[in-house]
Amino acid sequence: MVNEKQLRDEVKKLVSRDDVKYVIGYEQGTYGFQVTPSFAFTPEEAERFIFSPLCANNLSVYLMLEEKPPLRKGEKEDTRKVGLVVKGCDARAVVQILQEKGLKRESLVIIGVPCTGVIDPKKITVKFPHQIKPVDVREEGNHYVLTINGKNQKIPKDELLFEKCKQCEYPTPVIHDVLLGDEVKSTKKEEYKEIKTLEKKALKEKWEFWSKAFDRCIRCYACRNVCPLCYCKECIVDQLSPQWIYRSVNRSENTVWNLIRAYHLAGRCSGCGECERACPMNIPLTMLNKKIEKDIKELFQYVAGVNLEEKPLLAMFKPNDTEDTIL
Amino acid sequence: MEKYILLKNKLPEWINMITPTYTIFAPVKEEDLVFFKPITKPSEMTLAYSNAIVPPKAQMFHQTETMFTFTQGKNIRVNPASLPDEKIVVFGIRPCDAKSLSIIDPVFTNDFEDPYYLTKRKNAILVGLSCNQPTVNCFCTSLNGSPASPEHLDILLTDIGDKYYVELNSEKGKQLVEKTKKLFTPATDADSKKKKDVEKKAVDAITRQMKINNVDAFVKKLDTIFDAPYWKTIAMKCLGCGACTYLCPTCHCFDIQDETTLDKGARIRVWDSCMRPEYTLHASGHNPRPERMNRVRNRVYHKYNYYPKNHQMIACVGCGRCIDNCPVNIDIIDVITKAGEVKP
Repeated sequence: MVNEKQLRDEVKKLVSRDDVKYVIGYEQGTYGFQVTPSFAFTPEEAERFIFSPLCANNLSVYLMLEEKPPLRKGEKEDTRKVGLVVKGCDARAVVQILQEKGLKRESLVIIGVPCTGVIDPKKITVKFPHQIKPVDVREEGNHYVLTINGKNQKIPKDELLFEKCKQCEYPTPVIHDVLLGDEVKSTKKEEYKEIKTLEKKALKEKWEFWSKAFDRCIRCYACRNVCPLCYCKECIVDQLSPQWIYRSVNRSENTVWNLIRAYHLAGRCSGCGECERACPMNIPLTMLNKKIEKDIKELFQYVAGVNLEEKPLLAMFKPNDTEDTIL
Repeated sequence: MEKYILLKNKLPEWINMITPTYTIFAPVKEEDLVFFKPITKPSEMTLAYSNAIVPPKAQMFHQTETMFTFTQGKNIRVNPASLPDEKIVVFGIRPCDAKSLSIIDPVFTNDFEDPYYLTKRKNAILVGLSCNQPTVNCFCTSLNGSPASPEHLDILLTDIGDKYYVELNSEKGKQLVEKTKKLFTPATDADSKKKKDVEKKAVDAITRQMKINNVDAFVKKLDTIFDAPYWKTIAMKCLGCGACTYLCPTCHCFDIQDETTLDKGARIRVWDSCMRPEYTLHASGHNPRPERMNRVRNRVYHKYNYYPKNHQMIACVGCGRCIDNCPVNIDIIDVITKAGEVKP
């Protein structure tokens, strides 16, 4: 894991530069295992920065959330760079945004963290439901060491890791200006086990599975807002004229919403799993994303967000592209 | 207040006895989450739960409510939606959630009597269950609540070991027990003491508190820090999703829309969220709350300043749902505590 002093020193250096506005990273959250996004404008604020196996958030969403109020008379646009701490999957989202020209490369300074996996907050909360005081979590080999009330507890990594991390093929950020520590090489392979199991099921069973999940949806759109790649100026679900999706919360509209969200990320989703983490209703959203990711890999041998020189999937055409997808 | 004892093994019998007359909404576990759902037999419910993910306000104030339906074309007809006359029991509701209904009642009663909400509210009997094991983000005691308070409930059950201590707090509550009286025995002083002990233990288990000395003074203080840069620092990390508002037991904003097909349609009312830019977007394109800072601040002010001014109540019960479910750890306990420290 990352040397936090090195991280803070790097951030301090960045925020002291004239061409950097602020740096986005992580700081200790308010209780238990919470870690929260942090914005450092000054070297003092950089002191708050941490990096631990609890740093699950994909902070690249904040690049797309930056608000630019209309300029006043005589005021000039602030074109200074924004700094960002990224893990492997977060970096893929950044690459994807850059490929789509959603951002300019020169507007960013990227601090890469070679990632050895992060903890799923839902899994750790189940194990320690009453933890209020912040907990120090370190990684030691195949274990996490948690210091709770002065006592150390060792838990196998596998029990707490996000499922996505268990198959991660790109743990070292594919894009970065600074890399903190040594590259982490992955020998893992995404095998889509869960997807393959679901694919084999009968249509009726699949429908039952998904309708039960979508029935829970309250349409809070946390999945959309937490996603760095959901950055349309006006989301289809908010559009009123024409209104593609009704506001009624029922199986039909919820299904449309959840499928549209997944399809709009086809060939774009970097697999960070933030949608599922943010979903208060435990809808297995990464399964939808992974199914589409798997199909695209099979059909076009394409993986999103790994090569800055490449065009986005839906913006390119190869003469030997399969035509199976055309109805 | 009348106090009784109901043996735990008699609870299923009690539920079975009232099931023919009432639709019973009770905590039901699904995918590691608990929802209030209609049950047909006691075994469907779970009483080992902290709180439901969606507050039981949803039983009175439906997320989607059809106000009326209509036909289009030559023969236009408007058909009012029939209001349900079913009698319901919300079983196992927590004292904080019961309080939330009392808090939002004025919204649906004061200027205009809202038949959709009020019909269900009047037809509902709230049978509460004391919160013996508050969760990490419970802070009802910061807002004059108690995990075992019968206030705002018709009946409160408290688990005191092998039996429930039953407090009847309203006429409705008395009537419900009256019909099934044979299952209940009068509570003794020892039982009352046990309940007090259980309550004290639960209160002590609530360790996260808003650190503001005086709630009323804090309400006034907010008037002086409206323009503080503090709100911007909080809002920077807000994603602008609606999880906090939809899962809040006192949030009550709605939108009204017509949903139509070629020849028919319905006017529906759906939950709305002030965290979304469209919430305040004018037809002209102007938005009086253009930035996330305006919206985050509004959520706090609505609960802790505007609502107390309009209805003499803080519109927060301390259930902790917004804290539990915020993807970026915007924590109302922390937000309020730190707002208390902001210099005017």
